[in-house]
Amino acid sequence: MEKYPVSEQQPLQRMTSSPLIKLNRPHDLAWARKWGTLIGFVALVVLFSLLRPDVFPTVRNWSNIIEQVATLAIVAATVTIVMVTGDFDLSVGALASLAGVVAADLMANQGVPVALAILAALLVGVAGGAINGLLVAYGGLSAFVATLATMTAYGGAALLYTNGATIFSRIPESFRWLGQGDVAGIPTPVIVMLIVVFLAWLLMEQTVFGRRLYAIGGNAEASYLVGISVQRLRLIAFMLSGLGAALSGVILTSRLFSAHPQAGNPFMLNAAAAVFLGATAFREGEPHVLGTLLGVLIMGVLGNGLNILGVNSYIQSILTGAIIVLAVLISSLSRRR
Amino acid sequence: MDMIRRRSSYLTLGVVAALLAACAAPPVATTPAARKKTIAVVTPYMANETTKYVIDQFKKQAEAKGWQVTVTDTAADFNLLVTRIKDAVTQKVDAIVLGMGDPAQMTQGLEAASQANIPVFGIDAGNAPGVLVNVTSDNTALGKLSAETLAKAINGQGNVIMFTHDPHPGVRARAAAAAETFAAYPNIKVIEKKHIEVPGPVDNARKITEDLLTAYPESGSIAGIWAGWDEPALGAVQAALAANRTEIKVMGIDGTAFAKAEIAKKGPFIASVAQDFDAMAAKTAELIEAYFNGKKPESDLILIPGRLITAENAQ
Repeated sequence: MEKYPVSEQQPLQRMTSSPLIKLNRPHDLAWARKWGTLIGFVALVVLFSLLRPDVFPTVRNWSNIIEQVATLAIVAATVTIVMVTGDFDLSVGALASLAGVVAADLMANQGVPVALAILAALLVGVAGGAINGLLVAYGGLSAFVATLATMTAYGGAALLYTNGATIFSRIPESFRWLGQGDVAGIPTPVIVMLIVVFLAWLLMEQTVFGRRLYAIGGNAEASYLVGISVQRLRLIAFMLSGLGAALSGVILTSRLFSAHPQAGNPFMLNAAAAVFLGATAFREGEPHVLGTLLGVLIMGVLGNGLNILGVNSYIQSILTGAIIVLAVLISSLSRRR
Repeated sequence: MDMIRRRSSYLTLGVVAALLAACAAPPVATTPAARKKTIAVVTPYMANETTKYVIDQFKKQAEAKGWQVTVTDTAADFNLLVTRIKDAVTQKVDAIVLGMGDPAQMTQGLEAASQANIPVFGIDAGNAPGVLVNVTSDNTALGKLSAETLAKAINGQGNVIMFTHDPHPGVRARAAAAAETFAAYPNIKVIEKKHIEVPGPVDNARKITEDLLTAYPESGSIAGIWAGWDEPALGAVQAALAANRTEIKVMGIDGTAFAKAEIAKKGPFIASVAQDFDAMAAKTAELIEAYFNGKKPESDLILIPGRLITAENAQ
């Protein structure tokens, strides 16, 4: 046993003797770790601005980007709450789809007032999140397995609810405001996004609740032993994630002014990517709300910039994946001694 | 413990069996004494609106010809579908009709049918051994007609954006035909070909369109947007409306209900090309009748052209 670690250390020794790693004093490392992702983001912005100075760095384009990422930011901010505890929520996309079709159907076909229909859709999200939370926290299922199953079931429910069709007729005009309206020139989805991100940040960073969730993420066993009600908190985290997903799904329905039974599905992977990207920023590789917001912005800027440059769609996907890997890699390498 | 486990697994088995029995469709009716021609329609996709429509149309046509038609849906269960085809063979129906669904997944059932000399007709299904003829849309023709329509709407000149999804063979064929059509117009330039993500095509197309409208900000710098199906067309229309770029003409394919509603508003969504399911159903009935009269179809693939949907006939 004594010998084995020595031979394992060899590649590391070689690494430290390389000129690149000579810069590797803890001080420099902490700096890169903290700001690397933000610098990457700024670099992307500068790059796109240089390549299309007439288009990319304009007010119009930026309001465009921020409006585009609003729905994703809402899902990502609330799914961060679950991911802080070390769990995962694969069902957010399907829940967003389900909430979107429920809201549309209630207001368009069942004569339910717009506000009540929205409320009902949000409750669907909370209920879906509660099922996830019960399965994970009390049923003892791994979050991955539980939400993989509920993702399939909620997705099926959305398809069953609409018979696979798109709901588009008789949606009340007053519903348009949520996804397409504005307050003093600021688009409604952006305002909702700012409120949700702020509340999620407040909850996670400024309350005992948030600190306990981080404690669970750090060590669930120890948290339990010091008297934190781990099960209840995990349940609540999933319910908040479901609520955020549903809110996003409802806004998307208003934005597209039609409800498609799979419209919210892409949220899941994009939100997870944003949280992973965000976890590399500012802090020790743990998910946090402001990091997630940065992650969402990176994905938004990347998509927008590459579209503006006319980059092939398939290459866009490869680049997005590569950038996520790169960010996480830099973060994890800089954390090594 | 073992007993309990076994008992609970029996219970599970029992529940599954009961569920399956509850889901299974009623058995195909037996041939009446009057020697009416009987036709068994089997489909995995009755929950799909389009599938239901085309089968209902076919049923109407067939019953008008005096045949007895039974329709069996297996709710996307291809294994059960094979069983249902075999049931129909056992009952010696005069013809089997596949209401969509990939026949490559029905091999055993199709073998049983061909051994019993029962002809199998596909409506928008596919070609496979044992399928006498498949009646479907010509995606190439759909793509060509939609591109022609858009080209004419922009007076044969200007920049065009194409929204595609090449992994889908049908949409790919549409896009290839459209690209060829646009290429024949010397003053039309396809400036962007964008792959649209599925699921979520409306939102994806909307975002891409917003980005492209920013990249081409001058009015008239984008003449038209061609979409391989209606969902991305809808997203493009919404982005054009939101950005006040209503001069852009958008063209879809499929003639879905939401597309028709948008086309009827006489905005940027100028038209869509619908697959002609009425004609598909009618043609299938016609082919079966000819077969009963001793005339086999001359080809195993019959392609039905599309139908143009504009503001005039969208209501």
